[in-house]
Amino acid sequence: MTPATLYGLCAAALVAIGLFGLILHPTPLRKVISFNLIGSGTFLFFGIAARRGAAAGFLGDPVPQAMVITGIVVAFAATALAVALLLRMLEAGAPTVDGPPEQPDDLSP
Amino acid sequence: MTAAGLLIAASVALPLLMALACLWPAFRDRAADWLVIAPLPALLAALLARGGSIVVAPPPLRLTLALDDVGAMLLGGAALLWAAAGAYAGSYLRGQPGLARFAVWWLLTLTGSLGCFIVADMTSFYLAFSVASLAAYGLVSFEGSTRAQRAGRVYMALALLGEAFILLGFVMLAIGAPQGNPLIRDAVALFPAAPLRDPALALLILGFGLKMGLVPLHVWMPLAHPVAPMPASAALSGIIVKAGVIGLIRFLPLEAALPGWGATLVGAGLFTAFYAVAVGVTQTQVKTVLAYSTVSQMGVVAAVLGAGLMTAAPGTALLAGFYALHHLLVKGALFLGVGVVMATGPRHRKLVLAVMAVLALSLAGLPLTSGALAKYAVKPLFGDGLAATFATLSAAGSTVLMLHFLRLLGGAAKPGAETPPAGIVWPWAVVALAAFAGPWAIFGGATALPLAASLGAKALWAALWPIGLGAVLWAGLRVLRLPAVPEGDVIVLADRLAPVVARAGDAVEQADGWLRRWPVAGMMLAGLAAGLSVLLWAGS
Amino acid sequence: MMADATTPGGGLLVLALMLPAVGMLAIFALGLRHAERIAHATLLAGLAVALAVAVKVGQSGQAMTYLIGGWRPPLGIALQADGLSAVLMVMTAVILCAVGVFARGSFSSPRDGAETRRPFVFWSLFLGLWSALNCAWLARDLFSLFVALELLTFSAVPLVCLDGSRETLRAALRYLLFALAGSVLYLMGTGLIYGAYGTMDIATLHHLTRADWATSLALGLMIVGLMAKAALFPLHLWLPPAHAGAPAAASAVLSALVVKAPFVLILRLWFEVAPQPASTPAGAMLAGLGAASILFCSVMALRQARLKLMIAYSTVAQVGYLFLVFPLVMGSAAVTPWESVGWTGGVLQLVSHAFAKAAMFLAAGLIAEALGHDRIADLGGAAKAVPVTVAAFALAGLSLMGLPPAGGFIAKLMLLTAAVETANWWIAATILAGGILAATYVFRVVGSALAEAPEGAGTTAIARSRELAVLALALIAVALGFLPLQPFDYLAIGRGGMP
Repeated sequence: MTPATLYGLCAAALVAIGLFGLILHPTPLRKVISFNLIGSGTFLFFGIAARRGAAAGFLGDPVPQAMVITGIVVAFAATALAVALLLRMLEAGAPTVDGPPEQPDDLSP
Repeated sequence: MTAAGLLIAASVALPLLMALACLWPAFRDRAADWLVIAPLPALLAALLARGGSIVVAPPPLRLTLALDDVGAMLLGGAALLWAAAGAYAGSYLRGQPGLARFAVWWLLTLTGSLGCFIVADMTSFYLAFSVASLAAYGLVSFEGSTRAQRAGRVYMALALLGEAFILLGFVMLAIGAPQGNPLIRDAVALFPAAPLRDPALALLILGFGLKMGLVPLHVWMPLAHPVAPMPASAALSGIIVKAGVIGLIRFLPLEAALPGWGATLVGAGLFTAFYAVAVGVTQTQVKTVLAYSTVSQMGVVAAVLGAGLMTAAPGTALLAGFYALHHLLVKGALFLGVGVVMATGPRHRKLVLAVMAVLALSLAGLPLTSGALAKYAVKPLFGDGLAATFATLSAAGSTVLMLHFLRLLGGAAKPGAETPPAGIVWPWAVVALAAFAGPWAIFGGATALPLAASLGAKALWAALWPIGLGAVLWAGLRVLRLPAVPEGDVIVLADRLAPVVARAGDAVEQADGWLRRWPVAGMMLAGLAAGLSVLLWAGS
Repeated sequence: MMADATTPGGGLLVLALMLPAVGMLAIFALGLRHAERIAHATLLAGLAVALAVAVKVGQSGQAMTYLIGGWRPPLGIALQADGLSAVLMVMTAVILCAVGVFARGSFSSPRDGAETRRPFVFWSLFLGLWSALNCAWLARDLFSLFVALELLTFSAVPLVCLDGSRETLRAALRYLLFALAGSVLYLMGTGLIYGAYGTMDIATLHHLTRADWATSLALGLMIVGLMAKAALFPLHLWLPPAHAGAPAAASAVLSALVVKAPFVLILRLWFEVAPQPASTPAGAMLAGLGAASILFCSVMALRQARLKLMIAYSTVAQVGYLFLVFPLVMGSAAVTPWESVGWTGGVLQLVSHAFAKAAMFLAAGLIAEALGHDRIADLGGAAKAVPVTVAAFALAGLSLMGLPPAGGFIAKLMLLTAAVETANWWIAATILAGGILAATYVFRVVGSALAEAPEGAGTTAIARSRELAVLALALIAVALGFLPLQPFDYLAIGRGGMP
């Protein structure tokens, strides 16, 4: 097994776990964490792409790395925004994203 | 840019500007008093600007107005009736709540209906037709009662369906045209060779037939026409249905013989003519009987057009237009007259009823009336076959229906009525006079038949015997107990669908609630991504 | 077209991106009290820039390009305004200006000088959103577009919960999380693309892409991710509460502009990145979802009791029309997609819906302010209280119904023509049925607004300038109906080099 394959499998596993959490975990905080897991998996994938570029004679393709850095910043900002919203919701009542708004909350944090 | 062109443009511009001026409260509150002037430019245009045209926007938009002979005939009649009914409305509805709103809908409907007669390009026709159809909703549902609301809903649903038919028909028709928005003339010239000729024709006949009330698309008429206030009923039944007539006149390829389609239209028209009579005689409301009479008469017009389409007979458009003009004026006068009869006490009642009787029997072709002229003019189109016999017999049917109407009218009166207000008598009298005199005045020009022949003994006999037959039939029917058929007859079948529709709506709402649950939407997201990827891969 | 060098005036594109961002910073620097004035000044300048770009593109007949730092793609990043981008920039600027005039009353800082959070948050995010939108219209590589879309989401989400109630906070969180789910799918797709082709530049990819499984997977992930952000049925869970809960000024921007950015990106992916000819079944699937969106969400709009929810569902339905484009431009080798009636109809639908929907949401806001509620059944008296607003609503409704002479009519007529030409009868039927449903839900509101006011119902006066801003938007939506019924040369500018 080459390192690229191993990384690829790791990335796939992270994405799968993240997707599972994002779709099926009822609590918003876990959804946020799951989103970060998917993000990490995807960034790992960019890492592999950089490695593949290296195989073509470079020491390492710098473009995907630049993208990963940007992506991490974006993901960080998204997480911060989501957590801020969560906190505001905690002040105002129970946070949940499921169920149509007219129904009473059936889930607590 | 000619004076005639400007006058033609003014006939839609003035009512439109008046409708816009209603955004200004000071005008809005008085708008109802000014309804009478809105159609006057159109009336002038019909008299003075025949043959004129104006290009409102040059190609590629190609918005064009033009007034040909058929258009001028119907435009003149419609403008006269709009003006009279507008004056009538000012008096009849004085002090009613929501009068300003009524005026806005009135002006918009007027703009659209007059526009139908003068536009020459396809987009503008669709625009004018839609404005007339949709704004008339405001007239139908004006009274706000449960009955009016139901009529408004049915009207709206079917009007929108008709619009959809017509739009698709137009698209199919225009697909062979070299540029967007062709002139109607150019598009119809391509019609016989168009790749989608048959579906396009079917859709156009459905769409315009719906507006004319061809059975079974007539169900909205007996609901909608009676519930509107009296002047609006006159406009709806007299004028708005003519938007369908002018549509068929403009869009049927009358210069190319299409026997199959012609026969279909003759069949549908004559069936409608008899069906509406059969249902109409079971009705007990005066205005509903008149609405069924409109359905029946429009059936005759459709049959006339179908007969012309079968053989590509020259002059079909003018003949159908002439018949439609006769119906427009007579039906307008009858509806306005119902209001006059209701408001008239015993002293003048006989006179008013006598005028109404002549008007009503004019629809059955009473000799010396416009109806006799109209029936005489269209007769040659039908030839000598079965269709001709049925067309003649339809006059007997009209007689039965009109005698039924007159009997109901005789019993209709408001308690304590004495002298009707002058504000409703004059408009009625003007339209009634026009209904007698107008068709005589233009007979020669419209039909190219010798007027004298229509007064010959043969013609008189041909007009009289169906009326006699009708009278005998009516007397026979009075012995029978007729079943009570609800207004709009087959619409009751649609009423049975109402719970099904409501359940379907509930089901959609439940499905939406389910789809909007987070796990469901999440799974959808993943599933769609997988599905689309597979399709992208498999398809390329 | 490959971006080889910065064209004259290319700096305008940077200005279009940076002006709103500078305005945003100025709000921080000069004090929050001046937020509104700064925003208005920026709006005027930005409108001028957008118009200048549009005129320049039209005059030269070529796309405008700016290479950031002089580096050429694929290594560098290019900004490019083709005909489509220029139209979208002007559309954005005009709508935002009208919303700016409208919002003058709702978010102005109090005279006594107390700095409140609401006007500051609204105006700064409003400008941030503009910057993001311009970036989405101008960027030409998949990763910059990703960043643009994220910026867009981050500016839009707080606008949803400006009033801070629990309901809107929840709607905002739903919106954010679902948009993020879409984003990660998109990001995965870009990763796959980069792994396969070593570039993100759209013009370069145009000549490179092959129809292999990796490309298909990448495109599938990206398109569906973007669909989630465009709220296409059945991924619309977040849109109705978010757009209905936001203040009217924000709803207008969200519904008119924000959901369009992901669609434009899908358009570019489909016609510029995907290997041609694109897959027929996949195009049919997108159109099928669009058709479902039109029918399903129009019925939902019909059943809403609240005006803003109705308009929000109508947005989902109208977005569905955009997705009908894909099968309609296939199957003819003689003309390129952007010279076809179907493609032009789709773009026109996007633009006319933007104006109509902005007008509608703003009108709904004014009606709610005047009457104190937005229950459709009780709108009686609205026509008397705010006649200009109700007229604007009706005009905008005309465009949604697809009746002449509105922009929506020409758009739907073009789509219908394309559907008939390509013999996609089910699409033609859907367009017609959607028009009937739209007419029904618009008429329901207009009919109710024209009714007499109930006894004792008080109304609040509305500033005339705000009513006129709404009317202006509605009139533009109608005026678009006077465009000729044929493909526009302007929209094809900058696509000469593409087969």
